[in-house]
Amino acid sequence: MKSRFLFPYWFRYFGLALILFHVPVVLFKKELGFDQAGANNPDLFNSHHVFFMTTTLLMAVGLFFAAFAKEKIEDEQTSQLRLDSLQWAIYVNYVLLVVSLILSSDTEHILFLNLLVPLVFFIVRFRWKIFQNNRLLKKEEA
Amino acid sequence: MKNNIRVERAIKNITQADLAETIGVSRQTINTIESNRYVPSTVLALKIARVFGKPVEEIFTLDDED
Repeated sequence: MKSRFLFPYWFRYFGLALILFHVPVVLFKKELGFDQAGANNPDLFNSHHVFFMTTTLLMAVGLFFAAFAKEKIEDEQTSQLRLDSLQWAIYVNYVLLVVSLILSSDTEHILFLNLLVPLVFFIVRFRWKIFQNNRLLKKEEA
Repeated sequence: MKNNIRVERAIKNITQADLAETIGVSRQTINTIESNRYVPSTVLALKIARVFGKPVEEIFTLDDED
């Protein structure tokens, strides 16, 4: 079975590297608190906005690559697991979205959550299912 | 859906890995099919049946729940 629209296998590691790279950069900025002055500046492309944009893009693209990279052996079961996990991710995302819309008016963070949750939940659920299958196989072999 | 792939493999004396490689899927997939956790597509079922040289119905049978 052909899996379309997936990145090559090594994109998973490339994606993870992007995510890992973005964490210390954001922490560094948050810890040192440099450039906080621009936080309330409404202009587009001020340094605060550019930093936020690039780090968020790094993370989102990293998550995207990690989520939609091919497995070593792609077959119909991985396609099905991927679809199942996507369905779960959308459900979880919308439940969280509705709950946070009711309970909070912090739209910027709701948007951020909305950006992260589907991909993160998808990756965790998909990898968990793959892990379960690997464990089952190991048990069988033992 | 039940199947007797494990029995057919024993008769033919091939491992899960051999079967997986012949039909181009992962060993995990063969393993989950054998343990009735995954129902293969018609294409995959036909490929498996071809390896054993038998009609699909002799390898896959409907369960009471199906």
